[in-house]
Amino acid sequence: MPHESFRPSRPRRARRRVALATAVVLGASLALAGCASGSGDGRSDITFLISKPEAIPFFRDLVERFNGEQSDVRVTLDSASNLSAGFLRGSPPDVGLLNYNEEMARFMERGALSDLGDMPEAERIRPDVQELVDQYATYPGRTSVLPYSVAAASVIYNVGIFEENGIEVPTTWDELIEACKTLEAAGITPIYSTFKEPWSVGQGLFDYTVGGSVDVANFYDELHELGTEVGPDSTVSFEKTLKPPVEKMVELAEYTNDDAASRSYGDGNVAFAKGEAAMYMQGPWALGEIAKTNPDLELGTFPLPVTDDPDDLKVRVNLDLALWVPEVGTDKAAARKFIAFLMQKEIMDDYNAEFLGFGTTTDAAPATDPRILGMQEYYDDGRFYQGASKFVPLSIPADNYMQAIVTGADVDETLARLDADWARLALRG
Amino acid sequence: MTQAAARPIPLTSPREEAVATTSTTTTRTTRRRRRRVGQEKTNWGTMVILLLCALTVLLPLYVTVSMSLKSTTQAVDGNAFSLPSPIDFSGFATAWELTNFPVAFTISILVTVGTVVGTVILAALASYAIVRNWEHRLFRWSFFYLLAAMFLPFPVVALPQIQLTGLVGLANPVGVTILHIMFQLSFSILLFTAFLRSIPLELEESARMDGATTWQTFRQLIFPLLAPMSATVAIFAFLASWNDFMMPSLIIADSSQQTLPVVQQIFQTQFSTNYNVSFASYLMAMAPAIIVYLFTQRWVMEGVTQGAVKG
Amino acid sequence: MSTPITTAAASAGSLVDEVEHVHVDHLAGAKADRRGRPRVDRIYYLFLVPTLVLFTLAITVPAVLGIFYSFTNFIGFGDWEFIGFTNYIAVFSDPAILSSYLFTFGFAIVTVLLVNVIALLLAIGLTSRIKLKTGLRAVFVIPMVISGIVIAFVFNFLFSNSLPALGSSLGIPWLSESILANPDLAWLAIVIVSAWQSIPGALLIYIAGLLAIPGEVYEAADIDGATPWYKLRSVTLPLVAGYVVINVILGFKNYLNVYDVIVGLTNGGPGTATRSIAMTIFTGFTGGDYAYQMANATIFFIIAILISVLQLRLTRGRAAIS
Repeated sequence: MPHESFRPSRPRRARRRVALATAVVLGASLALAGCASGSGDGRSDITFLISKPEAIPFFRDLVERFNGEQSDVRVTLDSASNLSAGFLRGSPPDVGLLNYNEEMARFMERGALSDLGDMPEAERIRPDVQELVDQYATYPGRTSVLPYSVAAASVIYNVGIFEENGIEVPTTWDELIEACKTLEAAGITPIYSTFKEPWSVGQGLFDYTVGGSVDVANFYDELHELGTEVGPDSTVSFEKTLKPPVEKMVELAEYTNDDAASRSYGDGNVAFAKGEAAMYMQGPWALGEIAKTNPDLELGTFPLPVTDDPDDLKVRVNLDLALWVPEVGTDKAAARKFIAFLMQKEIMDDYNAEFLGFGTTTDAAPATDPRILGMQEYYDDGRFYQGASKFVPLSIPADNYMQAIVTGADVDETLARLDADWARLALRG
Repeated sequence: MTQAAARPIPLTSPREEAVATTSTTTTRTTRRRRRRVGQEKTNWGTMVILLLCALTVLLPLYVTVSMSLKSTTQAVDGNAFSLPSPIDFSGFATAWELTNFPVAFTISILVTVGTVVGTVILAALASYAIVRNWEHRLFRWSFFYLLAAMFLPFPVVALPQIQLTGLVGLANPVGVTILHIMFQLSFSILLFTAFLRSIPLELEESARMDGATTWQTFRQLIFPLLAPMSATVAIFAFLASWNDFMMPSLIIADSSQQTLPVVQQIFQTQFSTNYNVSFASYLMAMAPAIIVYLFTQRWVMEGVTQGAVKG
Repeated sequence: MSTPITTAAASAGSLVDEVEHVHVDHLAGAKADRRGRPRVDRIYYLFLVPTLVLFTLAITVPAVLGIFYSFTNFIGFGDWEFIGFTNYIAVFSDPAILSSYLFTFGFAIVTVLLVNVIALLLAIGLTSRIKLKTGLRAVFVIPMVISGIVIAFVFNFLFSNSLPALGSSLGIPWLSESILANPDLAWLAIVIVSAWQSIPGALLIYIAGLLAIPGEVYEAADIDGATPWYKLRSVTLPLVAGYVVINVILGFKNYLNVYDVIVGLTNGGPGTATRSIAMTIFTGFTGGDYAYQMANATIFFIIAILISVLQLRLTRGRAAIS
């Protein structure tokens, strides 16, 4: 048999084409991937996360202003990324301006947020407001968070309806129930509820009833200490300490609209704006929405009385916006520049005036909007508490439990489940 | 290396065999007649049942097409079975823009093509190496090692993969392509090694005698012979990658770089009750795979039934 | 010659046997190493090792890392410390996790049964004497090529609008509302859509298996005057047993990982009634419960391995043979 030299045959061309195609594909993909990053004009690029929907336009303008006023730093506004995901991938936003609660505190506890205590802006923060941060958790030796705006919330009420029915603002629990009964007799829904959305139950009926009768910060302090020992026999527990206020919450729920279980936040704002109910358990963020439907509606606020002693009245506050810079940020110096810009007095005062927040600094201007003016004195006197629902980490669906309770679930069982979840969470640190 | 030995399936039990032989002579003519009649007789009952079952497949497809062709006003009433009247293509235009279809489509294509090419090449090479060096430990153990991944559920490695791809800058379609290839390897290597064992050694030996190196043998002899199995592997890899939702949704950090299935979910809330837009979007996402399948279904069927009739 | 799928199945079923049969592959002219085996051509390493390395980096390393972190309280970033088996203890007492296992396994068992019974019957129908064979076979495979989440959205629409409309016109109360909002019935929707999607795959394997049965077998049965039922029970079923095994193993493994279909239909709802194991694990990504869910994932992994080993053991003799 003659030896044929092994000549490359036609398949070689096909193989070359495949190799070329692969290279093109890989190259295109890499180019696409690389498309996202890279600027190359000497400016530091940092991302700024703000997810409070109503405030996004306000901050978008501020970002444009900042980018225009200087050429060292370019800020990109982000409003959608998931925080845990960003931290997990090692690419969190460079500056965060978000609601501060137990969930955020977890990040801080693990040292994920850098120390901002040496910034001059940090000195201006009111001590009792800074303490709100510490109520959740602390990271020793650091001021990881700078409070930006405090939202004070209490019961929103329709001034006109109250006057028409001769109802005075209640200062005790009995007066409140009286008022509800009067309204019911007059055919008016006393309270408008939106049970379809768990958060509205948590930060509404639940937080108000609990905060008005229990020392929330203390309660959670002791819960943290008890850790795995929380249960029906421990000194404090959900099922023991919170049972009375939760039962009051259930009682109040009877004075709400029948279709509450299928009503959402949007529905509630519109309905209340149209005067379909006398009271609304929402925060200042709803005031803007209500005004969209009925800008002339006269509204006021009063803290929900849960006891018989008017001196127990307190308003619910939360750190609606707080600034932080992650430890693994790309350019912490640039981030701090932006923070210094944001924390200028005029800008903070502008924000709080427009969004009905209370200033966190010692030099903050007082509130002027009549709708929240009633809470100024409580805020100034320090008669406030942070909502109980905000002290529970997200892996325990406290809001959903409260939603279940107001729609009929058994109070003891659900609170006991809360205790069990807490104990289990404490077990694994 | 022995070829796959054809172990015959016992045709009959001993009892049946005995009966068959005794009745062979007496019934030979009847059997022949019966056989001819049997081959012509169509089982209509089964046909009807099958056609009815085919409806359950075609119904959702019909609904998708019909809803996508409706006007916005007609689509809102949520009646799935009414015919579109008038026929309105605006749903497609809106969906195209809203979901940024061209970008998502391109990304899906790149990821899928990358997966298919990468899987076929890497699996074929690895399988050949394994099969031709079975007696060496490294290759034998590699086979079981690579195969073990078939039993590894994605959720088990999902979180660390999200973390690692993020840290090395692969939280994008490229990372998804690489991961798709890796997850397809087990099954593909299984298919290729099985197929390779049926290729007679003599073919390769004659090539070697002609002076071909291993690489040349693979490229010009083995790989072309693998074509039917490469097609099967390619089709499985294509479907797995094109239709995958889980991995891209978790791995790709930037939602503007997402693949087609994920994009459907991202825009779900924005479709609200504009059903014609959402169904147009679903149709555009489904169509490429269905078209590719219709063109290649002959190969799929052949791959499944190849030679089985003779066996 | 046998079909690619059956030969692949043969490999799967006889993996253990293969190890015992070390074949010597003597290519003409190859030199022997000191153990008398032919020396490995260098290039084979190039064929295998890069893939091996890439595979290890992409799959093995994350798996090991994940298992490692399950013994810590790592939330994905920041400080962490070892806490031993604490996460595992917590997993076993977590009602949310236990109910996700219950749901997922229940779903998998029901779906495996449904899919295999229907696929086998369809396969028998499609391999019998009917017209339009290729057309029908092509139609029945289409569900397999559609993305899980897309078809889930389509069925979501049908379950939320068309089915309730039908139910209320027929006067059936539980059908008049979307079953997707019913915590007791939502799982049925997941089963239906998953089955719809998986039947083609099983169907193809059964067709391959049925076509491999020689016609003489049935003729012999016919001679004995066998009824169709007898033929199905005592002739067909034993001969496709190996294929049933493959479908059950592959199917069960896939159903345990169910995710796409759930996202499209109920997203785990109503409440957490249809939350699968995969879904629960993924919350560790966006909810900062990384190490805890890694413990969950590791337990899931061990269970998956045990089930696969069990299945392989039970079916060692019965896997489809070429």
